[in-house]
Amino acid sequence: MKNNPLSFSVNLRINKNQNQSSQFDYWILLSVVLLCSFGLAMIYSSSNSLEMTIRQGIYFLAGLIGMLILAFSNHRKMEVFYLHSFWPVLLLLFFVLLFPSENSETKRWIDLGLFTFQPSELMRFILPISAASFLTRNLETKIKDMWLVIILTFFCFYLVAIQPDLGTSLIILLAGLLPVIIAGFPWIYIFLGGFITILFLPIIWISLYEYQKQRILTLFNPEADIYGAGWNIVQSKIAVGSGGLFGKGFLNGSQSQLNFIPESHSDFIFSVVAEEFGLLGVCILFLIYGILIYRLLLVSIYSPNKFAKIVSGTLSIILLAYISINISMVIGLLPVVGMPLPFLSQGGTALIVNLLTIGIILSLRKEV
Amino acid sequence: MSAFDNKRDSNLVSRIIIFLSPFLILLFFAFIQILNLSYFQAEDFKTQSESNRLYQSKIAPQRGFIFDSNNILLVENNIQQDLEINPNFIENPTIFLRQISDLLEIDFNQIESDFYIRSTGKNAKEPYLLIKDLTEKQIAKLSVNLNKIKGAEIISSFSRNVLHKEVMAPVIGYVGNVSKEEIFNNPELKSYKSLKIGKTGVEKDFDKLLRGVMGYRIQERDSFGKLVRNISIEPPSKGKDLKLSIDFELQKKLLNDFKGRKGALVAIEPKTGLIRALISSPSYDPNLLNTINDYEEVKNLFSDKDSPLFNRAISGQYPPASTLKPFVGMAALEAKTISWEKEIFDSGEYLVEGDQRPYKGWKEGGHGNVDMKKAIVESSDVYFYSLAYDLTINNLSPFLEKFGYGEKSGLTKNESKGILPSRKWKLGYKGEAWFKGDTINMGIGQGYMTATPLQIAVAYAALANKGEIVQPRIIEKIGNSETVKIAKNNVFLSDDKNWKRIEEALLAVVEASNGTANNIYDRNIRIAGKTGTAQVKSIGETEYKLLREDKSLRDHALFVGYGPVENPKLVVVAIIENGESGSAVAAPIVRKAINLYSKNEK
Repeated sequence: MKNNPLSFSVNLRINKNQNQSSQFDYWILLSVVLLCSFGLAMIYSSSNSLEMTIRQGIYFLAGLIGMLILAFSNHRKMEVFYLHSFWPVLLLLFFVLLFPSENSETKRWIDLGLFTFQPSELMRFILPISAASFLTRNLETKIKDMWLVIILTFFCFYLVAIQPDLGTSLIILLAGLLPVIIAGFPWIYIFLGGFITILFLPIIWISLYEYQKQRILTLFNPEADIYGAGWNIVQSKIAVGSGGLFGKGFLNGSQSQLNFIPESHSDFIFSVVAEEFGLLGVCILFLIYGILIYRLLLVSIYSPNKFAKIVSGTLSIILLAYISINISMVIGLLPVVGMPLPFLSQGGTALIVNLLTIGIILSLRKEV
Repeated sequence: MSAFDNKRDSNLVSRIIIFLSPFLILLFFAFIQILNLSYFQAEDFKTQSESNRLYQSKIAPQRGFIFDSNNILLVENNIQQDLEINPNFIENPTIFLRQISDLLEIDFNQIESDFYIRSTGKNAKEPYLLIKDLTEKQIAKLSVNLNKIKGAEIISSFSRNVLHKEVMAPVIGYVGNVSKEEIFNNPELKSYKSLKIGKTGVEKDFDKLLRGVMGYRIQERDSFGKLVRNISIEPPSKGKDLKLSIDFELQKKLLNDFKGRKGALVAIEPKTGLIRALISSPSYDPNLLNTINDYEEVKNLFSDKDSPLFNRAISGQYPPASTLKPFVGMAALEAKTISWEKEIFDSGEYLVEGDQRPYKGWKEGGHGNVDMKKAIVESSDVYFYSLAYDLTINNLSPFLEKFGYGEKSGLTKNESKGILPSRKWKLGYKGEAWFKGDTINMGIGQGYMTATPLQIAVAYAALANKGEIVQPRIIEKIGNSETVKIAKNNVFLSDDKNWKRIEEALLAVVEASNGTANNIYDRNIRIAGKTGTAQVKSIGETEYKLLREDKSLRDHALFVGYGPVENPKLVVVAIIENGESGSAVAAPIVRKAINLYSKNEK
């Protein structure tokens, strides 16, 4: 059984005693492919654009190849590369602020002619890997290194926040701080940090853009301005609710088909899933995500390597953060922040980055 | 691996789990919310989603046509194309209005102000007509470009067109938007809000028949308001066509005689109650109100001091004056306070004991000895003063009531009742007791008594019918079904011959050389009638001469007649306001009406 790559491990728990160094986790591959394919179908349903779907499909294939290359790479040899890759991405963050793409109001995109990408997406992937390899380059993690990572993280957070991209900047904060915390940052500082953050909340509120404040305010009363800021939330709630138990069927969701939900192919794609496939579809989606996250976490639980633990732990948490925040936002539990649903939402950079994340964790898994 | 390392490792894992848990909890709450939305509130959201995509819109029915008694088309509908906009789908009003104004070559500021007046109101989100009555060129331009402009659509509607304008205005009336008050009184009108409904005349009285039944269309539209498909259509049904009893040619010819004069005319067929002509002068162009393009004109129409919108024929309350005398005479005959033969000396004045002021007759020096016939023919005031005095109000009022004075004829809700005074009435309205002098004035149709031209026509129709009262009506056919004559309580006299004798007296008014309307005598057609001169103000002689200078205070000229007497075809009442002499100005119009109508009948 163990030599047959097509046979799935029936026992979801990895038997630590078995030598499974060559075992590839087909559960992870299967769930990722399922999610991405489902995502393509949803993008087609919500945009009715074959071109957009094919584009996303090409990103998916590119990301899949990248993922498999990373998965079979030797992470020990890559670690040096991971350590230094932070700096070029930081340069890209500067670049995008200085030379933003002219097609967008926000300074998020770098236009490479053939395609555009977001350096901030790249950063939230590179930062934890780079940080983890920096923190684990010695056997004992020095507190000084931790502070350095924290300072750089806040710097990156700032660079992304002024693009402005509140959602991704918060994820970057998470991506930089989590490796430090997991690596053993003293609890006392963590609590202190949390306490200070709460104290600074009013100042953060003041520094928010007007539209960001508006989004938070409409969360509490979306019906107040049904045609303005609350439109997205009201319409996506209608979509989710009207889907009922079994949904309206593929390509039959009137809310998304008739363009009542803006951004239904990107950030609000979950509402299309819920409208067309109902509660049943949502449960299946949750199940696939659950299997994926569970298998990813197993790596950090069973890997003897500290670097692997930190990286897979951080990346799993970030993946879950994306999923939970995006879904909460679509159903009106959280303010509308620009966070795509991993593997489903339209958007090349996010998809490729997510697939590369999986690739890294798969490569670390070989250590298990 | 040392034990220490193992401990550190499990520490790492526990930290991962700790920082994973907030998001797991968030996801758990999200799942609860999804369950709530798609299971517990699913029905509610399904409805909302339906109402999001489905639009119910009304399809206006076409209003019924109106024809005259000879099937001449009087009122039709013009089809016009309007630009309807739906504010929900307009993203940027300035760009939108700029596009529209460039495309249609309309002044931007004009539509901008129209748009903002409408968009700040209570129904700001409801679709409405921004530009009415588009030209061919505008329609062509719009239909090419409309798919680029979100929130605008061409819809067709009907506008009411009264073909002969002034001639038919008092009969037809006009249409207008449904008012809040009308909806309050008749909630059914709520669904007709987008239509115009009748405001006066036949348009109002028969609005329910004319307006038809609203059609409905359910359409699926996307979030930009673009039509995806029609889901169901329930077509409207056209309103019923009406055939009026009015003889358009007759009406038109008679209106000519009113040129420049204020007044009214009612011509009624005594046997059937059908109204053949109904004139109120000055008249107006109903189309000015049917489609309001020029507010200034409309304002002028409403503030015109000659009140063209006021229907004098049915709502004008005039003293019946001497036209009442035959009825006073009949009342006295019934009460046996007088006989045909008894003569009363008319010295030109009538004196009552205890009353300082004499009641003057219209003729200086009086008519000498007069009996009933002579009193009617020469219109002796003193004779009827005396009759009324002897009769008392308690006998006079109830008798006049039988002929329809003091109550609506039943033609339309808009008509006035006039005033049939009685003791009770005076106490109620004036708070005063009835004086004998009041009765004396009433003997010649003056004082408190007023009647509409329509009421006078109905009363004289009863004379022509020898007691048969008919309810006047103006509709001959609704759709294809004929309306029927509505009979009322007939008047019976104790001596049936009195009908004939009254008619002879009325005939002599025209035919006898001393008759007050001898000027209209025509050998070929025998007309019975009575003149009248309604005092605008009751005043003394010297004041009267001064007042005559003011035209608006001159007496109203009345004439009511029917003919041919052998077989009365038409009863005609004509009133010329401030026309002074009934015989000179009103009687010729009545003769003309009877002449024209009897010729056509043959």
